[in-house]
Amino acid sequence: MTALLQGIGLQRSYGPTPALRGIDFEIGAGEIVAVTGPSGCGKSTLLHCLAGILRVDAGEVRYRDQDLGLWSEANRSKLRRTEFGVLFQFGQLVPELTAAENVALPLLLAGSGRREARKAATLWLGRFGVGDLADQLPGKMSGGQQQRCAVARALVTEPKVLFADEPTGALDALTGEQVLTEIVHIAREQGASVVLVTHDAQIAAYADREITLRDGVVDRSGLGLEIGS
Amino acid sequence: MKTATLAKLAVAGSRTDKFRMAFTAVSSALAAVVLLAAATVAAVPELVNPDDGSDKWNEQYSSTLIREPGLRPGVVLTLLLLAVPVLFLAGQSIRFGSPARDRRLAAMRLAGATPGQAVLIAATETAVAALLGSIVGTGAFLLLRVLLDRRNADGTLPLPTDVLPSALAVTGVLVLVPVLAALIGAFLLRRVIITPLGVVRRVRTRSPRLWPGVLILVGVFAPLLIRRLGEVLARWISGDLMLVVAFVAVLLAAVAVIVGTGWIAYTAGRLLHRFGRRPAMLLAGRQLMADPWNGSRTLAALLAALVVGAGVLGYRAFMQTELAARDEAWAARGDVIGDPGLDSFYLNSVDLVRIAVAVGVVVAAAGIMVALAESIVSRRRTYAGLVAAGVPRRVLGASIAWQTLAPLVPAVLVALTVGVSLLRGVATTATGGGGASCSGTEAECFEGSPNWVQYPEVTKAVPVPLGDLLLLGGGAVAIMLVVVGVGLVLLRSSTDLDELRVA
Amino acid sequence: MSTSHLMLGLLSVGPQHGYDLKRAHDERLPQAKPLAFGQVYATLGRLERDGLVEQAGQDRDGGPDRTTYAITAAGREKLGEWLAAVEPPAPYVNSVLFAKVVVSLLASGATAATDYLVAQRAAHTTRMRELTAVKTTRESTAGDIVAADYAIAHLDADLRWLQATLLRITDLHREVTA
Repeated sequence: MTALLQGIGLQRSYGPTPALRGIDFEIGAGEIVAVTGPSGCGKSTLLHCLAGILRVDAGEVRYRDQDLGLWSEANRSKLRRTEFGVLFQFGQLVPELTAAENVALPLLLAGSGRREARKAATLWLGRFGVGDLADQLPGKMSGGQQQRCAVARALVTEPKVLFADEPTGALDALTGEQVLTEIVHIAREQGASVVLVTHDAQIAAYADREITLRDGVVDRSGLGLEIGS
Repeated sequence: MKTATLAKLAVAGSRTDKFRMAFTAVSSALAAVVLLAAATVAAVPELVNPDDGSDKWNEQYSSTLIREPGLRPGVVLTLLLLAVPVLFLAGQSIRFGSPARDRRLAAMRLAGATPGQAVLIAATETAVAALLGSIVGTGAFLLLRVLLDRRNADGTLPLPTDVLPSALAVTGVLVLVPVLAALIGAFLLRRVIITPLGVVRRVRTRSPRLWPGVLILVGVFAPLLIRRLGEVLARWISGDLMLVVAFVAVLLAAVAVIVGTGWIAYTAGRLLHRFGRRPAMLLAGRQLMADPWNGSRTLAALLAALVVGAGVLGYRAFMQTELAARDEAWAARGDVIGDPGLDSFYLNSVDLVRIAVAVGVVVAAAGIMVALAESIVSRRRTYAGLVAAGVPRRVLGASIAWQTLAPLVPAVLVALTVGVSLLRGVATTATGGGGASCSGTEAECFEGSPNWVQYPEVTKAVPVPLGDLLLLGGGAVAIMLVVVGVGLVLLRSSTDLDELRVA
Repeated sequence: MSTSHLMLGLLSVGPQHGYDLKRAHDERLPQAKPLAFGQVYATLGRLERDGLVEQAGQDRDGGPDRTTYAITAAGREKLGEWLAAVEPPAPYVNSVLFAKVVVSLLASGATAATDYLVAQRAAHTTRMRELTAVKTTRESTAGDIVAADYAIAHLDADLRWLQATLLRITDLHREVTA
């Protein structure tokens, strides 16, 4: 049975600089996979390619056995707001919208009515312990609270795959742990898969397994050592 | 800081920077052309009548505006005034931020530059581009001079192409345009804080107060009441003073429209947010509420141009009616119809003002475009995050369109109404003809005597120039659609995730 | 840290049987190696001999498994001293890991060293994952989590050290073979 999401021989460059030099990746339903490696190794690029945010220069990204490279920008956009959830380190919430409006946005785009969307948004914010901030602007919240709202927004559509890029990077250890624990709980509940990019071994330990990158390729040793495939 | 370093730092750049330089150069070239035109008209030699020392007309020109020494200063002044918004536009381009430029400026701060020095670098960028532009503009002007040097059938020149502006004037323009553009630019950056960690735009979050809104309503309805009010007040105030009162009232209204743009933007945002169904309207409404003053100064300039434009159209309609009434009256008594040349002169000068207004509208729209571009670029991270999360670009584009047009349409309608009301409040009818003549001695001349000939008056109603107004308003909206279009293109490149390297 | 101090600490709560002490130890220090009964009674014997602990009561049959022990005043004092003292930050490193890594890199062949390092890292990360799973289980107590945190932090430190040493050893090796 093919994995839910696969990357086959992915290559991607930024201008003259290669970021991915032939990466194979796969993740099954309900799995949590960590992508680790030193800075500049390409892990964020891998995440962007797998989520369909960036197009690959070579190789294939297959979701449910379909080549995402053949999809139009509009369809990939739709995928990102229905079956995928995306969570970055910062800068995700629209500063002019309240927390509830931010979380409700994907639902509104899917055609939900304003009232239902708001109800669902408040519910999800409550699950992450920030329900009383529903009508607050992000600028008035702490980093931890903002990130919880961002997680709520990423999960409000109950995605099949959550892509998290250093989600706790801007948080202190305790808040980060709380957020990550919540993410793991909800992912297990919903049977969602999680692609977790991090450079921190303790964060990576939340995953079921780990893949280490180095200079755009998979590092089987995890230590930067040359070993045969 | 050494000049060489300054110059080098100022011209380092990426694609947005090149666009900004081009924009500044083009506006500076335009400003240079206009200024040189003013200098040329000022350089037309003042001839003196050898007999009595009075002013003599420069007969070699066909246009009375240039022939009569009394009218020339007015022309020069108008051209100078026209150059001001164009120069302002050149200075405005400093607001075309870009991630590359923000990083450059922040890095300089990090390396020890003071905020003043960072602004100096940005302003020098503008100055260099403006200098290039004014050189090109001077060249263009000289070329135009040669190309437009044509004589009419009667040997007169339509434009003063036989006169060169003084060397002093040319040098003055080449120096003044870059310096002024840089100064304006530096002034416009006062809301931007350049920190070592990045460039931040300080947003005026104070929500607009209610009084401009009230004033706008007053301004719209007051002219309708002027007549009524006038009759009431006439018992206590003399006619002239009343005119002043009326003028002041309407001026306040016009000012309110301009000052109240923040309130208009904020209210438009609230309505969008409250009643909007689609996410694009929600985004636009919130953005307007959060930052109602963004670009409002240039919107105010646009509205001012529209108020003046509507007023001019009203005046033109009035003048036309007056002339028509006079023609009718004179025809009724069998007299010769007035001088068509003079008639068309007056109408033409009004038309010139119309052209100036049109230019003003275009320049103001360009200013709005600059403000919009700055707003989009400074929010690129948010937009990129939204695109990454799956929000279609189409929705973001729609939000930008709503954000720009929602305050615009009602504002345009109000501005046009105020402008026209200005005129209609003063006069809704035009009278021509009238007067009397008497042939006889002074003792015999009184009303009712057989020598007294009373000429008939003709009064016509001044029509509201709806067609022209529609053209003016529609033109303004059309230009704004172009501005929105440019904004959408900018959005596309701003959210090009390949270029962004989102964290 | 010796088992004596631990026993004293557990007894400071109140007099208990040897069996209770073992249960208390395993409960309060989860994830640690469970205490053997023999060790409990041996330690209690030592403590009694040193006057830090006394027999507080005897059940019908007598014998060590039915004796209740209680902490003495001297015992409380000793306990207080130990709690107030700072643990010396490891002046001598005696970790097996350290020894193995250094020796394997300097002496054994490149392939063997690499294999060992890769296997060690895999073992570390697997254990970290297991411990993290404890943290995310809803049934875990605060004690469970604190204990898991301690172990995870140390495993993480090992990994970091492994990485850094690798880089240094390459330099050193180059120096030596230059």
